[in-house]
Amino acid sequence: MEFSELIRTRQAQAELLSGPEAPALRGTLCVTGHHLLLSPKPQATDLWLLLLRSVDSIEKRVAGDSGTITLRCKDLRVLQLRIEGVEATLDVARSIEALSSLESVITSYPFFYRPKGLRLGDAWHFHPLESYYKRVALETDAWRLSEVNEDFSLCPSYPRVVIVPRAVDDAALARSARFRQGGRFPVLSYHHARSGTALLRSSQPLIGPKKLRCAEDEELLGAVLAGARPGAQGFIVDTRSAQTAKQARMTGGGTESKAAYPGWKRLHRPLERGRHLQESFVRLVEACGDLEQSMDQWLSRLDSCRWLAHVQEALSTACLAAQGMEREGACVLVHGAEGMDSTLLVTSLAQLILDPLSRTMAGFQELVEREWIQAGHPFQLRCAHSAFSHARSKHEAPTFLLFLDCVWQLGRQFPLSLEFGEGLLLALFEHAYASPFGTFLCNSEKERCLCEVRTQTHSLWSGLNQSKEQRKLRNPLYVLNPSALWPSVEPQSLRLWQGLFLRQTRPPERSEEVWEKVWQIVTDEKTEDSRPVVSAPEPQP
Amino acid sequence: MSLLRGLPEMELIVILVRLFLDFQEKLALLDSAPILDVPLGVISRIEKMGGATSRGENSYGLDITCKDMRNLRFALKQEGHSRRDMFEILTRYAFPLAHSLPIFAFLNEERFNMDGWMVYNPVEEYRRQGLPNHHWRITFINKCYELCDTYPALLVVPFRATDEDLKRVATFRSRNRIPVLSWIHPENKTVIVRCSQPLVGMSGKRNKDDEKYLDVIRETNRQISKLTIYDARPNVNAVANKATGGGYESDDAYHNTELFFLDIHNIHVMRESLKKVKDIVYPNVEESHWLSSLESTHWLEHIKLVLTGAIQVADKVSSGKSSVLVHCSDGWDRTAQLTSLAMLMLDSFYRSIEGFEILVQKEWISFGHKFASRIGHGDKNHADADRSPIFLQFIDCVWQMSKQFPTAFEFNERFLITILDHLYSCRFGTFLYNCESARERQKVTERTVSLWSLINSNKDTFRNPFYTKEINRVLYPVASMRHLELWVNYYIRWNPRIKQQQPNPVEQRYMELLALRDEYIKRLEELQLTNSAKLSDSSTSPSSPSQMLPHVQTHF
Repeated sequence: MEFSELIRTRQAQAELLSGPEAPALRGTLCVTGHHLLLSPKPQATDLWLLLLRSVDSIEKRVAGDSGTITLRCKDLRVLQLRIEGVEATLDVARSIEALSSLESVITSYPFFYRPKGLRLGDAWHFHPLESYYKRVALETDAWRLSEVNEDFSLCPSYPRVVIVPRAVDDAALARSARFRQGGRFPVLSYHHARSGTALLRSSQPLIGPKKLRCAEDEELLGAVLAGARPGAQGFIVDTRSAQTAKQARMTGGGTESKAAYPGWKRLHRPLERGRHLQESFVRLVEACGDLEQSMDQWLSRLDSCRWLAHVQEALSTACLAAQGMEREGACVLVHGAEGMDSTLLVTSLAQLILDPLSRTMAGFQELVEREWIQAGHPFQLRCAHSAFSHARSKHEAPTFLLFLDCVWQLGRQFPLSLEFGEGLLLALFEHAYASPFGTFLCNSEKERCLCEVRTQTHSLWSGLNQSKEQRKLRNPLYVLNPSALWPSVEPQSLRLWQGLFLRQTRPPERSEEVWEKVWQIVTDEKTEDSRPVVSAPEPQP
Repeated sequence: MSLLRGLPEMELIVILVRLFLDFQEKLALLDSAPILDVPLGVISRIEKMGGATSRGENSYGLDITCKDMRNLRFALKQEGHSRRDMFEILTRYAFPLAHSLPIFAFLNEERFNMDGWMVYNPVEEYRRQGLPNHHWRITFINKCYELCDTYPALLVVPFRATDEDLKRVATFRSRNRIPVLSWIHPENKTVIVRCSQPLVGMSGKRNKDDEKYLDVIRETNRQISKLTIYDARPNVNAVANKATGGGYESDDAYHNTELFFLDIHNIHVMRESLKKVKDIVYPNVEESHWLSSLESTHWLEHIKLVLTGAIQVADKVSSGKSSVLVHCSDGWDRTAQLTSLAMLMLDSFYRSIEGFEILVQKEWISFGHKFASRIGHGDKNHADADRSPIFLQFIDCVWQMSKQFPTAFEFNERFLITILDHLYSCRFGTFLYNCESARERQKVTERTVSLWSLINSNKDTFRNPFYTKEINRVLYPVASMRHLELWVNYYIRWNPRIKQQQPNPVEQRYMELLALRDEYIKRLEELQLTNSAKLSDSSTSPSSPSQMLPHVQTHF
């Protein structure tokens, strides 16, 4: 396919109005295969560039001999372009519409992006699963690294290697995989050394109306308990309601029966997913962008969006899983139906709560890579559109954004305990929806291999870990907190993530400026002084 | 308090100041030592609950309503007369005024190494503002509080207005609270002037002297031909006030003025609103539809209106280059909120710890915000319609600003909470009485300790580590509901489930940062010193740490 076929016009005279206060940028607007760029006259030193993939919806209006295009971006920014000439406006709009909705992965921008200072292949050496296994192996020998999914035949959405109980052989895994939706058999998500327990995730068992059983699947979960601390029991956290889980039997799914899995107790914690979550997100963004709305109803409108209720449910379910391990010494298996959305939300948040290493800059990147990207969260489907698009398919859901929001809440409640700041969370949100990097491309490792993402694109992690980015991404106040972080999930403890959802309405003091001042205070001390910074760890809660 | 229900026998010791409960058995329920430390001043109402016939656990005892968003409920045994005795003792010392006893501040013998009464000196503060100048003069006409008994002794008025003029103007302003200067802009010399409503009445009375006086004020600023008047009230209330002899400045009487109403409601509306906040946060937080419940209290909406009003005042003075006159009805509630918040936005001096103390001392205490009536210090009449959380609302607005500008204020959240705690505690004389004349009669500064003594002796505890001093920066907070939030750490602090996540380590880290920063600044100064001419050593002995009587402890 040739981009040129889709580009109706290459150039137009235009003016960019990004906000009510920012000065407008005037110049020549160009449409390329991947970008919209505006070069101010006379010299193109200060080029404005927009990745076309980040456009979520486009609205055109013509009046007289000029037109206005409103671009609502996936990162929730709203831009306005005033273009000279009616024809030019319509052509630019049509070109943007066509180019921003291209679905082909291999012609997407990451395959063309070649920034200075980065080498292809860098950071793709980073194998979080293998390195995580090394850590587990130091703590216990109950687990092994299995290559049973080497060719993705057992489970197309799992990576090539997974961590499984040592006592279970690959043949048993294969049979367990056939008993789980999409082949997602129970695998290790996190080993909690302090209590000698494990966090696992999977998809629902295929019990069906006939109440089928699978000996190998039962054996696998039995082996998990046997490998944990003596006497450990297990909790299965099902992210659906008991009724939904039961109903799933009609379509071949279901949930573990008590009799078949001795030692495991089932808990139902229904989390909203899919369409409902997306609708909540859309309503929230609408409410935040609605400047005409009478302000005395803002709070009840925010309430009715239910976004914060989803944050609360996600955090409290993660707390439940984490508590099961830390306080009750139990192993925990999390699944919903497919095990690719709310399941990952719960397991990744539970790790942040329990594991101090996952709260470091490197550890958090590893967590996202291992528990979201490699664990097969279908980013391409879920993040195809953001909150503005009218063309909505049923696959979109802001699950990953919900995760980032929950992490932001943790960071707000524990301002010293995360090594990264809001900047990193915002960056991950933006890149998950549209990015010059390949990290969030495709839906699974299998697809990424087919598209040769690892060899043909740059990794976001190498982009983010360049030293010039660090001040924006790191938390200047970080001190290692060795204990678990138990967030308060009361409604009055949760806040709207203003830095994201209200980014269009200019805050009184931009958080970047605040953090820059804090950085100055902190680094003044460090550079001025040979003495190490006093950094007492946070005491146990 | 729900937490304390069904507790074992306890011993109640009233040490005049505080309600101090010592539980003889340890409580598995509580992490910390089960000691309840409540200043008696905070008590608003004591009720007996249950009677001789009450059955069931915890149905018999005392219920204590506090002014700081909590209730304490003590279950007692019915035997003996323990409840009667306890009720009497508590009533006696919580409401000393009804028993001809002195308020605790007069008995408090604490010593601090700073004297908070020295913080505010009106002459110095006006000098800092560049006053007097050739447009404004300092007058002692109110030296004996004869012109206006609720104003301070020292006032700043237009140079061209004679003392006789002032006396005539006073007759036309509610409670003689004439327009006087609160603040002058250091560059454009526009001013914020405060007063009470004009006594227009139903017949639409006019007063030539008042009209002329406002014109004189207007003329001190030549940049804009109009004087802007902000009436803090809603338009209808201002009109309704005519029925009781008040009113507002009409166009035909006051040429060259522009009048705006700021729609801030009266003390009764604010009191009811706060009551609703308490209903949704205590003893249990209304969890389902929390935000909608919060909205229905209208508390944040009132905060928004107060902030919006103050922003308008500040903007008019700073960008509009127009002098403004602010009043409400009597000019001691909403007016104080507006002038002090506008001054906080305009003048970075007031954002320092001492500057803020001066601001409170000047705009609130000296100008006669009726603390005694609004808070009801030592008074048992809990349903008094004069009580209202106006000052709390002001502190809330300051907190909202400090949230929006995390580096602009020298003080931290604890500073604000400490001020609020001692607004009720009666441990210090700072907030006692309604006006300066009453305080002078009672010799408050001689006989009591100032709250600022406590604070200034422990300044480090109240410092914001991220404070970056900026001169001449005007702060315009966003007063949109989207950017306001409930001050959870204050209003919901008594809820054991809300206790903020590990506040101590955060503060500890902040303190470290502060210490390091001070170290850095000190070293820089040393370097500068050694670089400049070598002076003889000027080492001063470090001040000793604060000395407090052992039995009196603060909350923290």
